[in-house]
Amino acid sequence: MVYGIDSRVRTMSDDDLKILTRHNNVVTLREYFEGERETRREQARLPFEEKIRILVTLQMLAVEWGGKKDVIVWEVQALHRNSEGGD
Amino acid sequence: MKKTLEVINELKLRGIIRDYAIGGAIAALKWIEPFFTRDLDLFIIPEKTVGKEQIVVLSPIYDYLKNKGYDKWTGQWLLIDGIPVEFIPADGVAKEAVENAVETLYEGVPTKVMSAEYLIALFLKASRDKDKIKIRMLLEQARIDKDHLRDILLRHGLWDRFEGSYHE
Repeated sequence: MVYGIDSRVRTMSDDDLKILTRHNNVVTLREYFEGERETRREQARLPFEEKIRILVTLQMLAVEWGGKKDVIVWEVQALHRNSEGGD
Repeated sequence: MKKTLEVINELKLRGIIRDYAIGGAIAALKWIEPFFTRDLDLFIIPEKTVGKEQIVVLSPIYDYLKNKGYDKWTGQWLLIDGIPVEFIPADGVAKEAVENAVETLYEGVPTKVMSAEYLIALFLKASRDKDKIKIRMLLEQARIDKDHLRDILLRHGLWDRFEGSYHE
């Protein structure tokens, strides 16, 4: 059984499927995934400190929402970017 | 994390270890998008080894940290200022990765992070499912010096494994 959209089973017709996204933009599924890849590349360029803050948020989610009680949420001095005056 | 790195830097300043670099998932995080992980892997080059077999003794590290009040363990991780840290003796390609790690700052504290090319080599060596995912993310999102990567992989006998699965 295939859940959701799996790149291995996508066909041309799937790629051409149109989606209404934010700000009423209409994009094809292919463009949507290309956009997602670009966003991930942009995230890769974030400062290291910012990535660690995001990691801590993920650890909090794992504990509080995911119920993973064995995860240790790291102690990072400034969790919020603005509280440190940004990067 | 800042305080943790300051404490680790003390180990080097006091001659307890010769050098170290951040490796594993946190090093990958330096080069790719944020993702979940639990611990901080520190690859260390010890100041000295013992006997003909060159056994790495980690107890001077633990003793020093214990004297500073860091003696709480969770599994294989030692908690240093709220962060679970694992000390991994670096040998072979890992030792080379430490020696060639990128000097950087974390909130003003100097540290070293393994380069994307060496991380690919180390993840390739381990080749667990989670390592394979990180290799793909590094190849897609990090700036990779392909000649340098090829040189590392060839010298450490990892090129065939890479070429068979990742090389396009």
